[in-house]
Amino acid sequence: MSSAQETIFDIISKESGIDRAKITPEATLKDLDIQSLDAVQILFEIEDHFKITMPDRDPNFDTESVKGLIDTVEKLVAEQPTNPPAA
Amino acid sequence: MHRVVITGMGAVTPLGNSAPATWKSLCEGRSAIAPITTLPREALRFGIAAEVRDFDPLAHFEEKRLILLDRVSQLALVAAREAIAQSGVDFSHEDLGENTAVVIGTGVGGEQTHDAASRRLYGENNPRLHPLTIVRLMANAPACQISIEHALRGPAFATVSACASSNHAIAQAFHMVRSGVADAAVTGGTESCITLGTMKAWEAMRVLADDTCRPFCKQRRGLVLGEGAAVFVLETLENAQRRGAVILAEITGAGMSADAGDIVYPSEAVAAKAMQRALADAGLAPENIDYINAHGTGTPANDPTETRAIRRTFGAHADALAVSSTKSMHGHALGAAGAIELVAVIGALRDGVIPPTVNFVDADPECDLDYVPNTAREMRARAALSNSFAFGGLNAVLALRGSD
Repeated sequence: MSSAQETIFDIISKESGIDRAKITPEATLKDLDIQSLDAVQILFEIEDHFKITMPDRDPNFDTESVKGLIDTVEKLVAEQPTNPPAA
Repeated sequence: MHRVVITGMGAVTPLGNSAPATWKSLCEGRSAIAPITTLPREALRFGIAAEVRDFDPLAHFEEKRLILLDRVSQLALVAAREAIAQSGVDFSHEDLGENTAVVIGTGVGGEQTHDAASRRLYGENNPRLHPLTIVRLMANAPACQISIEHALRGPAFATVSACASSNHAIAQAFHMVRSGVADAAVTGGTESCITLGTMKAWEAMRVLADDTCRPFCKQRRGLVLGEGAAVFVLETLENAQRRGAVILAEITGAGMSADAGDIVYPSEAVAAKAMQRALADAGLAPENIDYINAHGTGTPANDPTETRAIRRTFGAHADALAVSSTKSMHGHALGAAGAIELVAVIGALRDGVIPPTVNFVDADPECDLDYVPNTAREMRARAALSNSFAFGGLNAVLALRGSD
């Protein structure tokens, strides 16, 4: 399991109160019975943790399924400019 | 119990800086939704809103007085002046001001002041805030300022219920004039919420549209924020007739309800209950209503739920109703929404023109009423409902009819 996946599973479990063992990459947030207000909180926690901006209803990204979230995060993190070392 | 009529209306909206200008734009189906001009666009995800344009505070207020007035109060005061002038009431002369109520709804109050004070304190590390910060930002400031300017000494307060604030305000004013608690009322709503803080908070909820506001259609992508104010003069029918005043419309009833359920997801049954209560309060049968100005935010959740709530309330008559969401033109002005929409309802009742739901592309099978898509319709409306449903599940519906 990638570290992004670990973190995303943690966030989903914490924000929605779902048992972490029930979360699979194949599931959609809808399958997991996650309400829309919990879903936006999950997206916020992901954004805040990885310091990225998750797409909003962009047809090129899947943010409905757990795997889609992981792929999106990994793509956005890889695209981020690496921070210069602190002076 | 008195009959309650509206004899004055005023508005400052993204569609025009007076009630007639706003109504003209509504009839033309003109949308005021455009790129935001007052905030740094790069800080915003989508950067569109319906802003009040060409509003010069110095054209309306002395510089010294402006120190006291957040934009939310400026808009309300200008709208109130227009409404009171149109009504022809002289509050000082007729001693009417002694027991005239002022009830003004707002969702967030002096948000511009709040935002600026926060920026100074946290952004600029400046520990000194302006001494009038509190009196500018308090949510009751617009009501107070109207009461002070016109020497209105009856019950005066603000109502705060997010997107239903205006309708709750107008309902309270209506009840006070109907029962005789107040002789007359100045009521409506105001909002000036297009600040960086508010926009970012709405963005985070992921309910804002990135293109425009398209209520009830398949391509709808969310709501678009607006701002503005609309204010009305309410008085008893007897008083209006005695003065020979022009009656714009009669408020016949108000219905309110609370979902007591989800904080954001609306309840069809309880929204319907508010409409049913408004009809019952007005003594109107569903068949008497010709037009509904819908809450119609353009979000995935509101529009089908509101559609079903209308069907539940009106049964077979639902198919005979004209239902439009003017938010497609003036945006969602939150606490001012119901008041701005009342300008549309009064226009429809008076002029026999139903303002459209613009930006409408394709019908959504889940939204299957007549939404008067894209173009205004000439149609006589005898009576109308105006719906406002707020976050928190707070619903307020007004019932009106044209003057005889």
